[in-house]
Amino acid sequence: MTQAVDPAPARGPGGGSNLGAKAALVGLAAGVLLCAGSALAVRSWTGTAARNLVEPEKEKPKVAIADQAEVAYCTPQFKEVLERVLHSCGLAAEGEGARRGCKPADVKTFASISDDDFNALFTPLKDRGGVVLFDEGHEELDDTAKKLLEERWYARKGARYFFVVARASKTGSVSKNNALSHRRANSVMFFLSQLSGDPEIEQKVGLLWLGNEFAQLSKEYCAWPRSRPDEKCDEEPINRSAFVSWVDCRL
Amino acid sequence: MFSRGSKVPAAVALVASGLGLLFSSNSTADYAAHLDRRLHNVHCSFIPGMPATNEAEPCRVAMYSPFSALLKDQYWGGIPISLFALGAFGFFAAFSLYVLLAGERASRRTLAFFAAIGVTPLLVSLVMFTISLTQLGHLCLTCVGIYISSALLAAGAVGAWLGGRDETTRPALSLVLVPAWLAALGITTLAPAIVYAASMPDERPYITQCGEIKQPKIKGDSPVKITGARPVQPTMLFEDPLCPTCKAFHDRLVSENIIEKLDIDLVLFPLDSECNWMLDQPLHPGACIVSKAVLCGERNARQVLEWAYAEQEYLTRAGKAGEGVLRAAIKQRWGESLLRCVDDKKTDVRLNNHLHFASENNIPVSTPQMYLGKRRVCDEDTDLGLRFTLAQLAPEVLK
Repeated sequence: MTQAVDPAPARGPGGGSNLGAKAALVGLAAGVLLCAGSALAVRSWTGTAARNLVEPEKEKPKVAIADQAEVAYCTPQFKEVLERVLHSCGLAAEGEGARRGCKPADVKTFASISDDDFNALFTPLKDRGGVVLFDEGHEELDDTAKKLLEERWYARKGARYFFVVARASKTGSVSKNNALSHRRANSVMFFLSQLSGDPEIEQKVGLLWLGNEFAQLSKEYCAWPRSRPDEKCDEEPINRSAFVSWVDCRL
Repeated sequence: MFSRGSKVPAAVALVASGLGLLFSSNSTADYAAHLDRRLHNVHCSFIPGMPATNEAEPCRVAMYSPFSALLKDQYWGGIPISLFALGAFGFFAAFSLYVLLAGERASRRTLAFFAAIGVTPLLVSLVMFTISLTQLGHLCLTCVGIYISSALLAAGAVGAWLGGRDETTRPALSLVLVPAWLAALGITTLAPAIVYAASMPDERPYITQCGEIKQPKIKGDSPVKITGARPVQPTMLFEDPLCPTCKAFHDRLVSENIIEKLDIDLVLFPLDSECNWMLDQPLHPGACIVSKAVLCGERNARQVLEWAYAEQEYLTRAGKAGEGVLRAAIKQRWGESLLRCVDDKKTDVRLNNHLHFASENNIPVSTPQMYLGKRRVCDEDTDLGLRFTLAQLAPEVLK
């Protein structure tokens, strides 16, 4: 590149012009070397990248995948019941034949577990859920019930399914209690539909209505968040209720 | 500055050229490494010999910027401008060596030529320095290394000329050599870029390999609409207003005028465990509240989002300081009514719906994410390969 051969006067025997020519040659050689070296380096870098591109990454950084919440209480047993509820009560079934809700006989059939074991499954939901209380023989939601429902509904976080387990009084005939329990479940469902305005709410809410023949709550459940915290609570009022909660489990 | 006939200026120019070679080769090597579509550490220091690091945000910003390379539509990532620096500094190193060795045998015309072309890297550096400050807001330290090398080279070249211009004993030189040198400069400057373009891998088979969105509509809700001035491409973006990468991505869309051609459905995906159950701890504290502010922006959603990006450093500090500081910032800029909307339970539900939309589609928990129609644009194609990918998948966006 530097080919200057300077026709300058000599400064001694074989002196100046030789020096200039040598400098030019060295410069030229350096230029050629640097140019070739740069090109080779670039070729090497792109070649390495091309090889890496076709070779699978050995330690590929793992990226989390977005999904619904899955918390500690989602044990295999809990999930089994949850799945049976969802399939038997219509949530997971789609189309014309889909059913809405489960009556006590269904629950007995699909749950295949004792009353206490069934209730125990919901124990981890104590803080996440709430117990909406009703007047005796009635299914109407009072203001405190609506407030509790609203709070719980809006605290969805990563849950996909909302469970409503309605119960009727411990006393009275089986058929009357079944019907009352069903109406209470429907009251909750109707309120949630109005509150959310979600046309696909039926894909989220699973309804169970239990009479006094299955999974009645003991007095201990009075300690759970209730819509009437100041009222006296024992086994009678706690079973005139609907337990509601989002369930943070994947299926 | 230098005594007449001193060899110091040429030595300075030679050292400067060597440093320029080092910094530009570091920069080129970093750029070329990313052609494998993986994340790599980046050199980001003006101290020669410092290794590549993962704490190199300003250099990464510069690398991803539209000013880092040419022909980005034609080549994945484009042809990095550091390649031209690499070639040019090679020429200057050789020429400096010649001037140094020739000493008084170097003609005055040689020195004048050296001075004239020796300042060109400095002129280019001044342009890039101005762009860094005004457009990027960051100074890439490797680039600063090149700027310093360019300044030293200019000083050495001009110094050599000043020291020898009055020396009548210097030999004369044929004018013919000047175009020959210029041609040599052109060839050496272009050679690395030509080799790079000819040898870079074909990325086209990879840009369509990142999947599709399963369910394009949010159940029971709607995304935030951001419609450009001439929208031609339906696009879905998952963004977090306090995510620096999202800000950089948004800035690229704006600076390259791409955003005006997009019809965007924006899905808020804050990486903050306060509302996002997919994280154990907040990556961007406060992002949930700022995301709700964007949702509440309604027709002004783009302005709220761009405000959040512009004020991201402050809002991030506010998010760490506590909810109150963040809420005060939102109120101060957007007023009481927007803050009331942020506090409304229904806004919580809307944000939750956006997050559930992400989970129902099982997207990666990272931001930003771009979908052209239903097709997901790979992460590496949203930064270095953005223009090339758009040219392949949605060419009308670049017209």
